Amino acid sequence: MKKQIVAMLLAGGQGTRLKELTYAVAKPAIPFGGKYRIIDFPLSNCTNSEIHTVGVLTQYQPHLLHQYIGLGTPWDLDRRDGGVTMLPPYAEADGIKWYDGTANAIFQNLKFLEAHDPEYVLILSGDHIYKMNYMEMLEFHKKQQADVTISVIEVPWEEASRFGLMETDDDMQVTRFVEKPADPKSNLASMGVYIFNYQKLKEYLAADAEKEESSHDFGKDIIPAMLESGEKLVAYPYKGYWKDVGTVESLWESNMDLLDLDSGLVLHDPAWRIFSSNRQLPPQVVTSTCDIQESFVNEGCIVEGTVRRSIISQDVHIKEGAEVSECVVMEGVVIGAGAKIRRAIITPNLIVPDHFELKKLDGEITLMTRNTIADWEGSEDNAVSSGN
Amino acid sequence: MRLAAVIDATVTIPGLKELAMYRSSASIPFGGRYRLIDFALSNIVNSNLNSVGIFASQQSVSLMDHIGSGKSWDLDRRKNGLYFLPTSQREGDHLSVGSFEALEEHLNFFHKITQPYVMVTSTFCISQIDYNDMLEKHLASGADITEAVCDEACMKAYILSKELLMQMIKNFREERVVSVEDIVNLKKKPYTFAQYEYEGYFALINSMESYFNESQALLSKEVWLRLFLPDRPIYTKVKDEPPTKYMKGSDVKRSLVANGSLLKGQVTDSILSRAVSIGKNSKLEKCIIMQKCVIEEGCDLLYVIADKDVHIKAGSIIHGTKEKPVVIRKGSVVSEGDAV
Repeated sequence: MKKQIVAMLLAGGQGTRLKELTYAVAKPAIPFGGKYRIIDFPLSNCTNSEIHTVGVLTQYQPHLLHQYIGLGTPWDLDRRDGGVTMLPPYAEADGIKWYDGTANAIFQNLKFLEAHDPEYVLILSGDHIYKMNYMEMLEFHKKQQADVTISVIEVPWEEASRFGLMETDDDMQVTRFVEKPADPKSNLASMGVYIFNYQKLKEYLAADAEKEESSHDFGKDIIPAMLESGEKLVAYPYKGYWKDVGTVESLWESNMDLLDLDSGLVLHDPAWRIFSSNRQLPPQVVTSTCDIQESFVNEGCIVEGTVRRSIISQDVHIKEGAEVSECVVMEGVVIGAGAKIRRAIITPNLIVPDHFELKKLDGEITLMTRNTIADWEGSEDNAVSSGN
Repeated sequence: MRLAAVIDATVTIPGLKELAMYRSSASIPFGGRYRLIDFALSNIVNSNLNSVGIFASQQSVSLMDHIGSGKSWDLDRRKNGLYFLPTSQREGDHLSVGSFEALEEHLNFFHKITQPYVMVTSTFCISQIDYNDMLEKHLASGADITEAVCDEACMKAYILSKELLMQMIKNFREERVVSVEDIVNLKKKPYTFAQYEYEGYFALINSMESYFNESQALLSKEVWLRLFLPDRPIYTKVKDEPPTKYMKGSDVKRSLVANGSLLKGQVTDSILSRAVSIGKNSKLEKCIIMQKCVIEEGCDLLYVIADKDVHIKAGSIIHGTKEKPVVIRKGSVVSEGDAV
């Protein structure tokens, strides 16, 4: 059936800069905000933008993602017509073709797009935290009569050289695109969110597939090729919270932004819910010995200790006398009695022994894993064990 | 599975009228994020029963909204699953569990189910009972009807054969009985009776007093550890609330807190449902605050049960007592100085 717009969500990334967090799961499946996974954000944006046909392209460690998304029920994407479709690499008569670049991943799924015959294709990535109405972007795209619209966000000038930057004229038409320039002439960073006219997209993907030297990447190959051919590229100025959570540091920062009233990242907003696959857990229990300030706490938790400026995910037990501050504590973690941890991301199901102390340099964020505990000088005195 | 389940949600509980004005007593909130019926339904699901008939009273909008297709309990099945069976009778008629008048209206349900035994239960007894175990004991006893008991208290759950139940439904007028519970209480001849002894969490919610006391009891670790069992979860309608946010200056202790709340004030010995807002410098002690209540700044609440969507304006002081907690009706707005 003909669709106005189909979203293609690139969720195959490994995210090596997130270290041990992505050993077993793809980056989009990384937990966020005490309850969510990163991919909940683009998926919920689709739901809230009333985009009902979404392809999710997976490759690296897809099992958890496939299981997590399932039929798409939590995002109302379990639909008779459209809904969510998982698109892992597949085999053809001449063998398996792994996805080789973001553009190649879409190119290999043209059959999926063809079946929906959309007017427009929305390309999304599964590693950003933001709330965005894609329909407003589509309206802008149509009004500008663009061939492709690229969503951009103003970043601080001093950080601009870390991003792919769009230089535009007064009508927001893109005149130049530069990837991570040393001397930035613009501070409009690409958010990795594109709306293409489907026919144009098809044309450029096919041409790109023929080029042997191409890295088959939207930012590096497709966008420059379209710019060179004189297609109409327009930048859509997004206002609001957006963060690439590609590193341990930025993942921690983005979690902390939830506690900052001025950050612009608000989840307590019934009008733009972030949907998630909910586990059925009892309410959180806070005891007479607990002290919780400026924190997020999810269901199924038992808090007996002190919590300061932290994100506590579901099913976490913080025992008496423990002190957790500026931490992101992921699902199923147990913080032993009297343990003290500051500025850390604590990976799922880790059992932190009683009286464990994280001694560390200021400023640096620790990704706490079993190794951190094994390296601890008190570790021999404690029976250290950890689930999976 | 040889056992089907009947939840009789048509029973009126006079003592809970205050909380059941705008809803069926089966959908009275309990434990921060649950409705009373969740406990019976979860026991059914955790006992792997997959045919469930919910006999509902007339005031069933909130109950239907809560249960939906039964998806949250994994009961939206092609084969078997959940049947919603509303009664056409007046409210207030049924005071005992397993009312034949209600069951009679949906005889088709009993024709349709393939299970040879039926478990009949209520919604106001909270437990972690295993109905399979109960069925085994029932079969071993050879009795016609087995009743579940906990510490000699009646748990208002009964197992009998479908054939016998259908016969009772057919003859109840001549026999001058009104319900399964009635027959068990009268030890009606010629039936034989057995008891199934259950040990574990049990609460009978049949008055405001028991509602309040059993809620308070949940704050004790020994009690919640017996109700919230990791391998027998209590299922409820899924909501998409974010985690609860504890703001700077908040002081929340000895409480059960559901998701989606914004907490700035001081809370002790209380139960907070989903999406509650507690303002700065407000003090809550021994309170039950239901879904989406807003307590503004500088309030002082003691022994208060605030029903869903209650809005308490800044500076309000409301004190109840342990024996008589103040109940604020659903959707009310209370300002400073209002008599409640």
